[in-house]
Amino acid sequence: MKQVQTTCVYCGAGCQILMNVDEETNKIIDAEPADGRTNQGRLCLKGHYGWDFLNDPQILTKRLRKPMIRKGGKGSPLEEVEWDEAIAFTARRLTEIKDTYGPDSILGTGSARGAGNEANYIMQKFMRACVGTNNVDHCARI
Amino acid sequence: MNHFVKGNPDLCIGCRTCMIGCVVAHEGLHIFEVDPDSYNFNPKLSVIKTAAITVPVQCKHCENPACMAVCPEKCIHLEKDAVVVDTDRCIGCKTCVMACPYGAIEIVPDSRNRVQIDGSPRMIANKCDLCIHSKRGPECVRVCPTEALTLVTEEDLEKEAADKRIAAAKALAEMNGA
Amino acid sequence: MGVPEIEDAKVLMIFGYNGADSHPIVARRILRAKQKGAKIICVDPRVTETARVSHIHMQLKGGSNMALVNAMAHVILEEGLCDRDFIARHTIGFEELESFLNPYTAEYGEKISHVPADTIREAARLYAKGEPSMILYGMGVCQFSQAVDVVKGLANLALMTGNFGKPGCGIGPVRGQNNVQGACDMGALPNSYPGYQNVNVPEIREKFEKAWGVPLSDKIGIPMTHVPDRVLKEKDPEKQIHAYYVFGEDPAQSDPDLAEVREALDKVDFLVVQDIFMNKTATYADVILPATSWGEHGGVYTCCDRGFQRFRKFIEPEGDLKDDWEIISLISTAMGYPMHYENTEEIWDEVIDLCPSFTGATYEKLEKYNGIQWPCRSKDMEDKGTPYLHKDGKFAHPDGKGRFFCADWRPPKELENDKYPMVLSTVREVGHYSSRTMTGNCRTLRNLEDEPGWAQMNMEDCEKLGVKEGELVKVLSKRGYCMTRCLPTERVGEGTLFMTYQWWIGACNNLTTSFLDPVSNTPEYKYCACRVEKIEDQDWAEKHIRDEYEEIRSQMGIQSAKKEGEGR
Repeated sequence: MKQVQTTCVYCGAGCQILMNVDEETNKIIDAEPADGRTNQGRLCLKGHYGWDFLNDPQILTKRLRKPMIRKGGKGSPLEEVEWDEAIAFTARRLTEIKDTYGPDSILGTGSARGAGNEANYIMQKFMRACVGTNNVDHCARI
Repeated sequence: MNHFVKGNPDLCIGCRTCMIGCVVAHEGLHIFEVDPDSYNFNPKLSVIKTAAITVPVQCKHCENPACMAVCPEKCIHLEKDAVVVDTDRCIGCKTCVMACPYGAIEIVPDSRNRVQIDGSPRMIANKCDLCIHSKRGPECVRVCPTEALTLVTEEDLEKEAADKRIAAAKALAEMNGA
Repeated sequence: MGVPEIEDAKVLMIFGYNGADSHPIVARRILRAKQKGAKIICVDPRVTETARVSHIHMQLKGGSNMALVNAMAHVILEEGLCDRDFIARHTIGFEELESFLNPYTAEYGEKISHVPADTIREAARLYAKGEPSMILYGMGVCQFSQAVDVVKGLANLALMTGNFGKPGCGIGPVRGQNNVQGACDMGALPNSYPGYQNVNVPEIREKFEKAWGVPLSDKIGIPMTHVPDRVLKEKDPEKQIHAYYVFGEDPAQSDPDLAEVREALDKVDFLVVQDIFMNKTATYADVILPATSWGEHGGVYTCCDRGFQRFRKFIEPEGDLKDDWEIISLISTAMGYPMHYENTEEIWDEVIDLCPSFTGATYEKLEKYNGIQWPCRSKDMEDKGTPYLHKDGKFAHPDGKGRFFCADWRPPKELENDKYPMVLSTVREVGHYSSRTMTGNCRTLRNLEDEPGWAQMNMEDCEKLGVKEGELVKVLSKRGYCMTRCLPTERVGEGTLFMTYQWWIGACNNLTTSFLDPVSNTPEYKYCACRVEKIEDQDWAEKHIRDEYEEIRSQMGIQSAKKEGEGR
């Protein structure tokens, strides 16, 4: 068993959690509070018990496991593809739209949730430096 | 003397972490891996909210428990400073529910989804057992985010009474103009 | 100020913020402050848990915040409770405020907010006399069409009483999601680069152009709350939004007026969704890019009090997933702007070198000190960050002075009327998070609360309607309807309705309006007109909820048809 300290993924309180993990089965055993600056060894229900979505119990939705695209355009079904194809497809369509309508016709979001600061930095850098627009925003408001 | 868990309405925020903690402590961690519908969610305490009060309510572990006195199957007993139901022997007669002055007992479907001979769910009395099976003590106390729950032991009760006696003595002295 | 400092306030005014449901661990600090002797003022239309333990509860009518704040400022002024010395040394604009406040008496406040004038006076006195006094505010301030004005109004109260620049005071927004502060810090905003450096300041733009090696746009971008308009209503093709790249968000669930949002997602030429779960937005996507989740990758989050903290990988991802930053880098490279990073630390080093207020927050220090509150300007190990801002009364304006601000009260945009006589406000569910893709897939959290959620209603209203606890009801607004369960309670006023926004069947955002605050572009989630209808055939309604749940699950790609009795 290994124990890893991390920051809780729910809410802005920034609680520190110790995750107990069985390395052999790659499964979480349980979570316990760590003595963080904001949480002082306490957690709420989401911190204590909000991690089993990682086991993909498929109660409400399903984990995404493979890239998918609509090869036949709008209305066609989503089909699983390899990453190379998904990346090339996305890059081609975004480039076409940028060339036709200009960079300000594209809007990208950051994420206020699990992705983290580095991913948000990369997203806004992509929108600004690669696409060429300041149309980048996230759900700070909601 | 039996112990009990006391909720403090001045600290309770009604989040019900205690109710999940209770189920996890009694069902075991395997519930995080099984089919979500294969276990019953039967907390042994409930958070009560009125206009002005929010607090968890659970068994007081009475010294002379009415539930124990009335149980026709004699399946409620004292164990490790707690009042405990032997759910394997419980017949679900509800007498204890009627007898308990705190509403701390409920009849619920057996958490392991056991069924009776006709296939209907086995129903049992469900009440706080102070997590006597666990070295960590009552799970609700351990997980409460605002420390609104405390385990009250004989010493705690004695100290509370002693403090009150001292306060009373001081009040008496004041009355005499000391 | 920081979360631990809440305990040190002598007076805490909790304004439109329900810590018990949004952040139990922050609520804990409020309770500890009270245990240490602090007086609590709670401003909320509901009897929240904070209201229950507060010394003064101002149970205002929704949408009257500005009137109440101005009335409190008036009392402080009228009764000579200002900190004249602080005002003279650290602020400008006080004279204008003084004359502006003239008409806003406590009686005026009572008329608009329905809080008795004497209670307003009592609260204003208590706040002004606290040494120190702290204000915490939440979405009950921000999610109105008049929101930024109210924040500035709360700042007026703190400025006029000298409650800035020392421990245990100030005004604190307590932010909802785990990394909403971080997304702002990193410049996922239409007007600023990382570190709150504005895109329209030439020197700053040049710095980023140099760092990133390309010319950058000086035009402020558009906020995502404008997307439906820019897709559906904008006539000029050059100004329309044609491609929408949605990363770790679910506008088809969380945005207001969902019918409109869904129409926009359906119509936009190209929709990219990058997420960990199938969600409502993803059903419209042209491309779905599966990312690793929390637990499967690491990095830095910023918590609500500017605290950078590491989060770490603890399990191996299963499936064909990539980290978010890697996916975006690959697309960028394919589009002709190469981005190559080895790991998050390499990205973070680039971030902190471009942002003076983050420069000192290296991974090394984040590890060593278990986090750093920015600003942290120096890489020297001795710079451990900044627990509270505006130290010694120094503000971010070039002259270092705080500004007073005058704003009249404006009513909410959609008022109650004959057809829709009640007011709906959306609120949070303590055990669920955001659009619920994560917590809705956590077994025990779902045991506590599941579809279709509850409408908290005053008992009198329930009686008039003839509905009991747990009964399914239909809630309607001009924009749509949804089904939910009735929860009669004395904790909410007559004519008001409170619904939590996590439900897909009981989706209150089918009802909400997309009116925005003009500055923050935040929607008015806390106020729209609605009506509740009784459903006579409860058996049909229960079955309908179960069928809907099944339908959603199958839309989300879950194969196994579940047994009867699902969804409560």
